[in-house]
Amino acid sequence: MVVKGLLYTKDHEWAKVEGDRATIGITDHAQDQLGELTFVELPEAGKEVKQKGELAVVESSKAASDVYSPVAGKVTEVNTQLASKPEMINDDCYGAGWICKMQITDKATTKNLMDAGQYEEYLKGL
Amino acid sequence: MAEKKGEGVFVFEPAFANATAGEPARQKPVGSVLYSEHLKLTDKSHIAEFAGYLMPLWYSSISAEHSAVRQRAGVFDCTHMGELEVSGKEAEPFLNAVTTNDVSLLKIGAAQYSYVLDAAGNVLDDIIVYRRGGERFMVVVNAANEPKIKVYLAAIQAGKAAIDLAKPERRIKLASVRDMRDTRTGQDSRVDIALQGPASIEVLCKLTDAPSVSRQIKDLKSFMFVEARLAGIDSIISRTGYTGAKMCFELFVHPDKAARLWQLLLDAGGVPCGLGARDSLRVEAGLPLYGHELAGPYNITPFEAGYGWAVKLKKEFFIGKKAVEKIAKSFEMKVARMELSGEKGIRPVRQQDAVIKDGECIGWVLSSAFASSFADAMEDRYATADRSATAGNRQIALSYVEKDKATEGDSVGVYYLARSESQKSKGKKEIVKRGERLEADIVGKIVSRFEKF
Repeated sequence: MVVKGLLYTKDHEWAKVEGDRATIGITDHAQDQLGELTFVELPEAGKEVKQKGELAVVESSKAASDVYSPVAGKVTEVNTQLASKPEMINDDCYGAGWICKMQITDKATTKNLMDAGQYEEYLKGL
Repeated sequence: MAEKKGEGVFVFEPAFANATAGEPARQKPVGSVLYSEHLKLTDKSHIAEFAGYLMPLWYSSISAEHSAVRQRAGVFDCTHMGELEVSGKEAEPFLNAVTTNDVSLLKIGAAQYSYVLDAAGNVLDDIIVYRRGGERFMVVVNAANEPKIKVYLAAIQAGKAAIDLAKPERRIKLASVRDMRDTRTGQDSRVDIALQGPASIEVLCKLTDAPSVSRQIKDLKSFMFVEARLAGIDSIISRTGYTGAKMCFELFVHPDKAARLWQLLLDAGGVPCGLGARDSLRVEAGLPLYGHELAGPYNITPFEAGYGWAVKLKKEFFIGKKAVEKIAKSFEMKVARMELSGEKGIRPVRQQDAVIKDGECIGWVLSSAFASSFADAMEDRYATADRSATAGNRQIALSYVEKDKATEGDSVGVYYLARSESQKSKGKKEIVKRGERLEADIVGKIVSRFEKF
């Protein structure tokens, strides 16, 4: 499932950009590939990351995966509920399973992300 | 998101750890015999390459399939496993020289766990030998090791493999070796489908109207088998498995009949299970996986793994005997099973994480899995209500630890190695050596080497 209005990376993160703020998560394809998530290592609020910089780690019994930042920015808020309920990402990856919110420091970094249609095409080619 | 090689995903990679030059190159992955059946049940994204075959990781979820085997019956595609037929007048002496257990003790209709070693004592594979007749055996080998074992046996037959380092001129008399999955094997071809769990006997008996066959199946003891027809399909029905389930079967049928048998088992109530549950079940039970608890980066021996009984040092000869005689008496590490908390939000322990006792590293994690607690499993076994399966609340890890420092009941812990740049930057180590002093991140205890269900 791909949601319209979000921006996507080739590494299967999504970003919902509103002005100079963004909400970040992983896509349905990503959660489906990982299977039941058992652990999420969340970033600390205030952390500054470059685009494609390491933001979080999600782990299932099958694999550990890095979550890279879709944009350059500073973490303003994290979804602390994921610490005890990582399965929220499996259940609702575009909603309740968001990972963090960011203040975008370089707006140009949103330009090289895919829109929903492009991401859907990208998934077909995998 | 990028899956990190060597962590997590290792479970599903061919355990080809001891690869040496001259081994046949692996070809492009092919769908297993049951590939089209899998596509009816799950999305392609849940199918991955394992030992050269495209196999399902899970259909519904690992935890639901794990529970299905503990509470009811699970069906596994094991058609990737290798089956070799060894036959002829020299079959028994040949196998007795090539494997560590004592083939002469095997009666017709019985199977035994065993090893294939090289002359230097390295474990090339762990196998099961089935005696189908006085001079006819079936040898089931690991999918990942099958190409290597075939090359090795051919080299022995051709007199090109070292058999006895002390007597280079030593030769073994030849037996006929056939690949039972090769289409040229014709009607004798066989592939493996496993049916595991307490309800598996009921599921299986639904496939036959012959009271004599039902009786034979019900009378089967562990590591025994019968050859009979199930729904008209010629089958080797064996009371063996890789899940720790007390009631367990492996069914060996012609590849052309595999899809039909698979469907019949599902129709009779068997729950399809993927490689994920296959791994979590065997870890929970304490069973070794070649490349992890056997051989692999630590070159773990059968003695360390807890299977010294399958290496019969009293036999006059087997390949590798001289080499393993020494290590059988003195080894300082062993495979131990550990139980750790596994609530949601607890970081899973992984291969190579350090096992800590009294603030000191005594070894490393080899494999790990989530599993429902033993108490739950006991309760569920006797409960009539069908409880919905939830993800496990404990982790079981198989670890390689100092033999004298890990006794059942001992408190131990695990130190998580750095798995990301940010963990590294916080000072998490990427490698921990034995004897290093460290604080554990998660505590647990050593439990019995095996668990029975």
